[in-house]
Amino acid sequence: MITLLKNGRLYDPAHGKNGVQQDIYIRDGRIIDKPNAAEKIDQVYDLAGKVVMAGAIDMHSHIGGGKVNIARMLLPEFRNYTEPEAHICTPHCKHHATPTTTETGFRYIEMGYTAAFEPAMLPINARQTHLEMGDTPLIDKGCYAMLGNDDYFLRLLHQKADQKAINDYVAWTLHATQAIGIKVVNPGGISAFKFNQRKLDLDENNAHYQVSARDILKSLSRAVHELGIAKPLHVHCNNLGAAGNFETTLNTMGASDGLPMHLTHIQFHSYGTEGDKKFSSAAAQIAEAINKHKHITADVGQILFGQTVTASGDTMQQYLNSKLAHPKKSVLMDIECEAGCGVVPFKYKDQNYVNALQWAIGLEIFLSVEDPWRIFLTTDHPNGAPFTSYPHLIRLLMDKTFRNEMFDKLNLDARAMSNLKSLEREYTLYEIATMTRAAAAKLIGLHDRGHLGVGAAADITVYTDQADREAMFSKPDYVFKDGELVVKDGKVIKVTWGATHTAKPAFDSGVEHDLRDYFEKYQTVQLDNLKISDDEIADNGHGCVINHTNLKGEK
Amino acid sequence: MSNNTNMLNATCPACGLLCDDISIDGATANNACAKGIAFFSQAVASPQPLISGKQATLEEAMKRAVEILSQSQRPVIAGLSTDIHGMRALTPLATRLKAGLQHINHASLQRNTQAMQSAGWFTTTLSEVKNRADVIVCIGTDIVTHNPRFFERFVWVKDAMFTDPNARKIVYLGGEKLDTIHGREGAWILPSRAADLPDILAALNALLLNKLLKADSVAGIAMADLQKLAETLKQAKYAVLTWAAKDLDFPHASLTVQQITNIVGTLNQSTRAAGLPLGGSNGDYSINNVHAWQTGKVLPDLQDAKPDAQVWVNSFNAEAPPSFSKVPTIVLGNTNTPKMPWFSHADVFIPVATPGLDCGGTMMRVDSSISLPLKQVRDSNLPTLADVVRKLESELP
Repeated sequence: MITLLKNGRLYDPAHGKNGVQQDIYIRDGRIIDKPNAAEKIDQVYDLAGKVVMAGAIDMHSHIGGGKVNIARMLLPEFRNYTEPEAHICTPHCKHHATPTTTETGFRYIEMGYTAAFEPAMLPINARQTHLEMGDTPLIDKGCYAMLGNDDYFLRLLHQKADQKAINDYVAWTLHATQAIGIKVVNPGGISAFKFNQRKLDLDENNAHYQVSARDILKSLSRAVHELGIAKPLHVHCNNLGAAGNFETTLNTMGASDGLPMHLTHIQFHSYGTEGDKKFSSAAAQIAEAINKHKHITADVGQILFGQTVTASGDTMQQYLNSKLAHPKKSVLMDIECEAGCGVVPFKYKDQNYVNALQWAIGLEIFLSVEDPWRIFLTTDHPNGAPFTSYPHLIRLLMDKTFRNEMFDKLNLDARAMSNLKSLEREYTLYEIATMTRAAAAKLIGLHDRGHLGVGAAADITVYTDQADREAMFSKPDYVFKDGELVVKDGKVIKVTWGATHTAKPAFDSGVEHDLRDYFEKYQTVQLDNLKISDDEIADNGHGCVINHTNLKGEK
Repeated sequence: MSNNTNMLNATCPACGLLCDDISIDGATANNACAKGIAFFSQAVASPQPLISGKQATLEEAMKRAVEILSQSQRPVIAGLSTDIHGMRALTPLATRLKAGLQHINHASLQRNTQAMQSAGWFTTTLSEVKNRADVIVCIGTDIVTHNPRFFERFVWVKDAMFTDPNARKIVYLGGEKLDTIHGREGAWILPSRAADLPDILAALNALLLNKLLKADSVAGIAMADLQKLAETLKQAKYAVLTWAAKDLDFPHASLTVQQITNIVGTLNQSTRAAGLPLGGSNGDYSINNVHAWQTGKVLPDLQDAKPDAQVWVNSFNAEAPPSFSKVPTIVLGNTNTPKMPWFSHADVFIPVATPGLDCGGTMMRVDSSISLPLKQVRDSNLPTLADVVRKLESELP
């Protein structure tokens, strides 16, 4: 069966297409060349005047695993529903800080997103993460496994194990947990907090292991690089949320000796100490450094005003943030000699000096980083705001007048401390397509996603061009997932189940010898039970695993 | 059990610890505790569907169940003794029937949930206990009644990374009929009734906050002992305060759970400490988690519900009678159910496979975050709960 999408205006940065009118042919879920005249075209959609992009990819969103589920359990007040399922299809449901798995899939696809990546999967929690994702319909998904605070790794580093041993362990973890990338959260800090260390900077040692955050970053970024997976090490820097933390962030950019690193939710790491309140924007310094350091990519983690919940692996910093919890309660955990978590509900207020400035800092970074291939659109869902606020965020980036109107409503002192109004830039559709599609696919290593070339998976979103970009991006005309029409006029019309993307580089299976010994001595589950099989993910016929092994640089 | 001489690794779902070091060798479940042995040695007793106690085919039983559910205005699905996959199948059935859901352990689940939802908490997991805990306070519980291998697997171990396992201090604070032998000779026992714990914990927290108390004792515990306990906790590098919600069986016990987690909060201002809710059975933690991700909420408590029909799911254990008596009852469950004294109330019985015995499965450990695969250890040809529920759902009008 061949489907023709004709006359659409394509925004396809992977192929340099900026509003080019072009037809797309789809067969068996893939984009194909124009078939010969003898072949039958079964379906035609006339998209004259419509904006056509690949399905969007959220490269950092907490959509699965323990933290999110703890947030659901902690916050019954987020859901005022009596019927468990009554909310599922309502178009303007407000409670998306803790969506159900079904809502997650529905709301993403209804905004034209066809994939989302859980960025903080603990290896021990991998099975639950994949189970939740298995109950998340429509979109593709994947995970970054968290390392760098686990005692096995820290022991290796402390013992000055050779890089090969580290690489094998990292690769083993990718395989066992069905991940596509590796994340490190507050390098060394989550572990340090378990030893009652309350702060850890880049060049400070974890007191027990006598290794620094820099040592950890160096080792893990090298492992990821040498294993050849596409996704650079995903780094949540030390000192999240602390005034003056921008210096840690700037120094972190140099910690990998030029090897690729992705600094995540960088807004939360771009704070200075100027002014009466000793809290200021360091967006300019951070953006300048990103512009200069070509090995660095970042996503913003924009905050937007309203009630949400922050869910992080960073127990050390979330313990401090728990004093600011709203409502006043939080769940913190030390977890399995691997890491930890902190779930802290939070209400960002536009009249609060710090919150207002956080909002401005995020936007300043977006507008000051020059290359849309290296800066990504995220709210660190749900930490800065629920992902359902992306259309609003896109409007803030594309519409200076709207942005300035919003700015004028902020806390007065915060306004005085931001240069946002002097930033004239307005993102173009081409740049939005870059940061939310082409660049995200390239970063993660999804070579057949994020673009509209022949051979790509037919994940395609069609919008009506509207001056109100929030309205435009809230409600696509059509969304095709693997060639099937699943959304029409912003509503799901068919439920399908996406794939799980993974990367499984080769490694020396001898690594299991020491790991098994360690597990028998110190852990409390059998090593083999940590491993997630492809069959577990394919359970119920709802999922499948796509492996992107060693595809870096290939096309 | 088959006479297969090959050792088979298994995971035991008999309590919340999910010991996954069990090896099944013929009829022997090596490493298993008494609860585990009872679990692995249960017979396939009555693999036939029954209608009002009389043998029936699966189709007939299914038809009768559909009749009962079709006539019901306010059905409930209760018991919910199953694993994650079973619960994933029950959620759509509940939606379809507009049925309430209630786990057999709803009362103890509520105690923890209410405490967490009121004030949050700081908890830990079993590997952290094993490698770090230097002081373990068992509050109102001996733990082993619920989790028999707790001390063997996580306390008196040969190797721990950050503490000397043999030097750990075990404290039993309150509780009735405690089996304290597993705390070993050095254990410090501060006896009181469980119901007096609110007063004792309030005093302990006050002492930790350096407040002066003008009393010589609290509920029979000398103030000097409480002061010593406060000092022990302050000096600990990683104190673990543990409880089993089932043992806190007195009014407003959720406030006592909150008192425990408040003490953890006080300690964490200067040293490190964590709470650890223990217990767990019949898949309670797994079911609560699945319900949370599928509906956005924890399992409800239907204590005041007046259902007119119930589906009783008891895959793991046949003994407990259904939550609601005197309503038409469909049992989807354990093959030992028809032997139980309460069984004459059941209108329909459809046997299902027990996860971890007759079929594989997935469950979450009591400390959450850790989910483990259950293995099939025998061939019984029983349908899974998910098979039965999906068939039932497809036959509803």
